[in-house]
Amino acid sequence: MILEQLSGNLVHGLVLGAVYGMATMGLSLIFGVLQVVNVGHGAFIMVGAYTSLMMFKAMGLPPVVAIPVAMFIGMALGMLFYYGAVKPLVSPSGSGIRKPGMKGFGIAAGSFVALMVIMRPVSLVFHLHFAISLFVGIIFLYGFLLYIYGGRRQEKAPELTTLLVTFSLGVILEEVVKQIFTSEARGFNWDIGKLDLGITVLPYTKIVASLGSLGIAVLLYLWFRKTRAGMAMRSVVEDDVGARVCGVNVDWQFALSFSLGIGLTVTSGVLLTMFIPVGINPYMGGPYTLKAFVIAVLGGLASPYGAFFGGVVFGLVENGSYTLFANIPGLEPFAMTRFFSFVMLLVILLVRPTGLLRAK
Amino acid sequence: MMRPVKTYYPILPVIISYGVLFGIGIMVPGKWQLVSQLAFYCALGQAFNLFMGMTGYVDFGYVAFMGVGTYGMAVSIYYLYDKGLGLGLIVIGLILAAVFSTLLSLAVGAVALRLRGAYFAIATIGVNEGFRFLIEGARIWNGADGMIFYRHLKTAFGKQTAMALSTMWADVMVFGVAVLAAVLTLIYMRNKVGYALTALREDEDAAKVMGINVTKYKLTAFITSAILAGLLGASAWALKLTYVYPEDVFEIHYTVEAIIIVLLGGAGTLLGPLVGGLIYGVSKYYLSIVLPGFQLLIFAPIIIAIIVLFPEGTVGIFKKRIFGTPLEKYII
Repeated sequence: MILEQLSGNLVHGLVLGAVYGMATMGLSLIFGVLQVVNVGHGAFIMVGAYTSLMMFKAMGLPPVVAIPVAMFIGMALGMLFYYGAVKPLVSPSGSGIRKPGMKGFGIAAGSFVALMVIMRPVSLVFHLHFAISLFVGIIFLYGFLLYIYGGRRQEKAPELTTLLVTFSLGVILEEVVKQIFTSEARGFNWDIGKLDLGITVLPYTKIVASLGSLGIAVLLYLWFRKTRAGMAMRSVVEDDVGARVCGVNVDWQFALSFSLGIGLTVTSGVLLTMFIPVGINPYMGGPYTLKAFVIAVLGGLASPYGAFFGGVVFGLVENGSYTLFANIPGLEPFAMTRFFSFVMLLVILLVRPTGLLRAK
Repeated sequence: MMRPVKTYYPILPVIISYGVLFGIGIMVPGKWQLVSQLAFYCALGQAFNLFMGMTGYVDFGYVAFMGVGTYGMAVSIYYLYDKGLGLGLIVIGLILAAVFSTLLSLAVGAVALRLRGAYFAIATIGVNEGFRFLIEGARIWNGADGMIFYRHLKTAFGKQTAMALSTMWADVMVFGVAVLAAVLTLIYMRNKVGYALTALREDEDAAKVMGINVTKYKLTAFITSAILAGLLGASAWALKLTYVYPEDVFEIHYTVEAIIIVLLGGAGTLLGPLVGGLIYGVSKYYLSIVLPGFQLLIFAPIIIAIIVLFPEGTVGIFKKRIFGTPLEKYII
């Protein structure tokens, strides 16, 4: 009985694991090249889920069609966020920003207060939502300050700042999506039949999602190994100073890999909706962020293929442990699985921080 | 080692500010709610700053310590209310809160503090979720159903005292935690712990080579900060609201608020969290009147702007300005 349950769950785990792996490749790519941990990872998955949902609901297109759209949206978002927020902190050729000092701070604080006061009547006149217009105002103020203080700051910002920036980007995405779609959970139903394997029944959507992730992973692999652009990116992962000396445009590689990483993450959101097409809400990304970290650490954090492998392992372990917890009375199996993945993260970080594949 | 009293002058503006804030709350009718909210933000900032500001490590799971602290107080009232302990119940609750948060911080610190930078953040980001799911999954302390204990509080103390405890004394305790956090921060800054932490914040490898036991000092700051968070949870949440639900109390938004407050004011300064807490609290209050539910959307880009353009925060910039003036020795 338990064995049957276990084998059925493991099949699901294997199929889901491929999607998990794909969902983590973006995180690993960004960490590998930029040494930035994208703490807002889950929010980008959420964007992908909404892309898939909207294309299905509004246009009746199956999620498969949403994959390239999501890739495009993700890369555009990646470029925007890279140049707007991440570049000043990580760029190897200086941030292009001089620290403004007291006067600049005064201007910023003063204009912010003025904005808070002025935006209220403005929003009434133009029938815009107060907070939205205030938000736009802040973005403009920020861009204005960025423009005024265009100088050069050579030192690299400490690591914690990039964590906070990516975290805030995730929060911004969540809040913007919440304003547009409200925070209610949505879902859709794309039914293309089921495959009966004897031990378990697998819907075709899940198989498509799994094969799709595998396909994207293989494409990424080929791109990395066989093309010049891929080689340039690998050289930056290896040693960014060395790559610079050899004439690689490291700045552009940073921008490209950030946007590619975000693109992959948003795409994985589409694939995940093929798996779990319900419960799409602005805050759905949180659990995926945690899972993605576990997977990335399993795979060695800096390697996209390691992440794919880690995803498969994680899918198997997660579904296996679910069976285990479901058979212990007095436990909530779902919550315990989530707790288990957290414990797994700590144990791996403690025992093998370089990942399962890599030797020390 | 005793240091001249003069080096402890910077505590004066902090104490005076909290005193004035408290006074406003008492004197001006109808403002107690706002004042207690502001005190909560300041206390949260002070406690968070003790670790993040001094070490430069970002603990994304910080709210977990507040959560277990809340459970400490809740467990004490929920299970011991009929033992006739009187006010000892509250004392036991505070002790339990401190013990729980110490234990959790030891467990997390033992793993996470061996790691650095990105790895540290990754290790801690799941602590609050992980603990929440442990409580829900293993059905500890009523699991997902939470604990509602106003009735217990009333049985133990009588209606009058219970009301006073949850409306007035809980907030006074928050003031106490805020001042305690500020005092501890200054004591650390002026002693070996602070020097060691400054050294490791600037360059951890160099600090290690110089023979500083970095893990010991990191753990000291981590546990202190966790205990303060636990006490804050016990007073500002458990005692004030008299209920606990795991999904509310382990909500990551409190960590976000703590980060915003510390960055607004200036990480690693003594006065920073106070200033940041006031700025954040007042603007959040204003925004929640004008339009509720939009605070995060507005504050998230502000974090980015501060990090990119003004990494020192308000107090950091102000400190540079007053360098060499008599004010200098009062503000750090």
